[in-house]
Amino acid sequence: MSYFNIDAVAAQTFDAIVIGSGISGGWAAKELTGKGLRTLVLERGREVKHVTDYPTTMMQPWEFEHRGQLKKEVRDANPIVSKCYAFYEGTEQFFVKDAEHPYVQEKPFDWIRGYQTGGKSLLWARQTQRWSKYDFEGPARDGFAVEWPIGYDDIAPWYSYVEKFAGISGNKDGLASLPDGEFLPPHEMNCVEKYFSQQVAKNYTDRHIIMGRCAHITDPKPVHLAQGRAKCQHRTICERGCPFGGYFSSNASTLPWAAKTGKMTLRPDSVVHSIIYDEKKGKATGVRVIDANTKQMTEYYARIIFVNAAALNSNLILLNSVSSRFPNGLGNDNGLLGKYIAFHNYTATISADYEGYLDSTTDGRRPNSPYIPRFRNVFKQETDFLRGYASGFQAGRYMRDDRSGMGEDLKKGLLNPYLNNVWNVGSHMMGETIPKESNYVRLDKSKLDPWGIPQLSISVDYDDNDRKMVKDFFEQLTEMYTKAGFKNIRTNDSNRTPGLDIHEMGGVRMGKDPKTSLLNKWNALHECKNVFVTDGACMTSTSTQNPSLTYMALTARAADYAVKELKKGNL
Amino acid sequence: MQRRAALKTFALSIGSTLVLPSWANAWSKETLQQSSIILTPLQETLLAEVVGTIIPKTDTPGAKDLNVDKFVTLMVADCYDTKAQDTFAKGLVAVDEIARKEYNKTFISCEPTQKLAVLNKMDKAGNDTEKGFIRLVKNLTIQGYLNSEYVMTNLRVYEFIPGRYHGCVPAKTQAGK
Repeated sequence: MSYFNIDAVAAQTFDAIVIGSGISGGWAAKELTGKGLRTLVLERGREVKHVTDYPTTMMQPWEFEHRGQLKKEVRDANPIVSKCYAFYEGTEQFFVKDAEHPYVQEKPFDWIRGYQTGGKSLLWARQTQRWSKYDFEGPARDGFAVEWPIGYDDIAPWYSYVEKFAGISGNKDGLASLPDGEFLPPHEMNCVEKYFSQQVAKNYTDRHIIMGRCAHITDPKPVHLAQGRAKCQHRTICERGCPFGGYFSSNASTLPWAAKTGKMTLRPDSVVHSIIYDEKKGKATGVRVIDANTKQMTEYYARIIFVNAAALNSNLILLNSVSSRFPNGLGNDNGLLGKYIAFHNYTATISADYEGYLDSTTDGRRPNSPYIPRFRNVFKQETDFLRGYASGFQAGRYMRDDRSGMGEDLKKGLLNPYLNNVWNVGSHMMGETIPKESNYVRLDKSKLDPWGIPQLSISVDYDDNDRKMVKDFFEQLTEMYTKAGFKNIRTNDSNRTPGLDIHEMGGVRMGKDPKTSLLNKWNALHECKNVFVTDGACMTSTSTQNPSLTYMALTARAADYAVKELKKGNL
Repeated sequence: MQRRAALKTFALSIGSTLVLPSWANAWSKETLQQSSIILTPLQETLLAEVVGTIIPKTDTPGAKDLNVDKFVTLMVADCYDTKAQDTFAKGLVAVDEIARKEYNKTFISCEPTQKLAVLNKMDKAGNDTEKGFIRLVKNLTIQGYLNSEYVMTNLRVYEFIPGRYHGCVPAKTQAGK
């Protein structure tokens, strides 16, 4: 009856396997199936279908039992994820609960995860700024980490490629530090934001206030309508999932597109244990998958494997993929796998009031805000810290109501709201952190997760460079605010632990030299060339931009290369 | 433009939950079940009168008419710590005690002006528990009232799907409903 086994192996064999269905895994699925590859997409979480599995998306505020607030027992049971700004009664279903997926904090690290089809692409903040050549050149110029094996020119066409499909709104600002892209019409700045933009332009030659580029459809093109997506409706409750497909997510865009090819097999509840390495063939041949519910292990086979499990989980899978050839993790001859983890420093915010434009206000809502591209150390080193920070900027004229007293007076106050007598303005810092060997993840084999896989142990922290940068952010933004006539300037350092930025990167960095990096310029492991890592784990440095757009572009680029090499018979 | 305020209220109510006191880790389901927030029918009536006094019925429904008292009880039970629950339970007893002392009758039997006077006395001259009770119940009453379907859809402007953003429009001194 041996033919049964042959059939079973055939049923478990694909052209490509993609580990993870989040923002980069969705792109890998779309590109590989679009090029004709039978592709297995493995998602460790449950299935979440576009629209039908967004239970709270049409709920009105009064329909939430606790009006959005989390129950105390939920907060008590989940001290980590409860710190995340997007975790509330309307989004609980999309976040990993602390106890379900334990990890080890060698140093405090709030690891925010979304285990479901689409991963965190349902929950992301949707900011999509390109990197510039100066960002890619950073490590080589400033002598940290290793040199990027690619530059802006390598990735620019792929930025264009993913932007057109995803739907990115933005203004062509013509800035060297933040290249323009393929934009749908931008969102509008309000009066005070425009005013600040003009003031900064008057007072500085190197600083700009622009409208954020974001993954919202402001004017749907045929390619978006073909995805079943429509114009963003400005509800600004994106994190509950959008029934209009107004913002880009794997669920709304890449995964249904891949499914339409008939080439995709999406397998939810599939925890990847490790990648199978065949010493005779000198390459990876498949993955070991543990069913999340039955805990039964199955092997799946393919000619190429894309690792898109989210930065730290991609590290975990590679570290756990041991063989006699790779006793320390797949492709890890140099011992650097899991090291040089970096992130974005979001600890600092600044706010103020502005007393101008009191005859004006705003109307409607905006799922986006203006952006201050990095202006420190862009073209040359000029401060006592390395690299720099980008910032958000937002002005709002809010409503107030008089809540004093009780009885009819209170009711009258509540039913007669009035416009605040100032505009409130604010910025948050998005700082580049320097990848260091001392910031690492590793496996803790003494602690297993519920699937028998060693837990990830995380040791990541800030350093002096980060603290100097926060100080500079406060000084520079205070100066910019003061020159614009903003009053009552307040700075705040939340001192929050790393992780809550949800921009963890690195550990499987790209580089030119196999001695000092894990991945080559095509995101393939130097030592196992049919395994590609194109999520945050691949990042050599972090720059300051929200990273998802870069992962999308790197994934599409790597998939294009992988399929070409496959067809040439090289993989 | 009231919708902005409504949303802001909503947002603030979300934001306020994110702070977790360290002692709260010792809290368990058992203590929740033993807490004194399971109200007797009489206490339920009393709380309804309290929230109805904080936001009374006028030409539009008050908090009691919108069942905000049920929301207050639910929130104290589900979202607050034992200290707040204790304040809630003790404060509710104090409401009747003060009514009896001042007017020689139960709070429910008091005239509307007397009821308001009792709550104001607790708010301004009461002990910590009494003040804490008023602060807690008043805030939750406002939250439940402003986020009720009736108030959001009839008395303040609320748009679920605005479909637009205009960055600079004339501000009216009193934004229309």
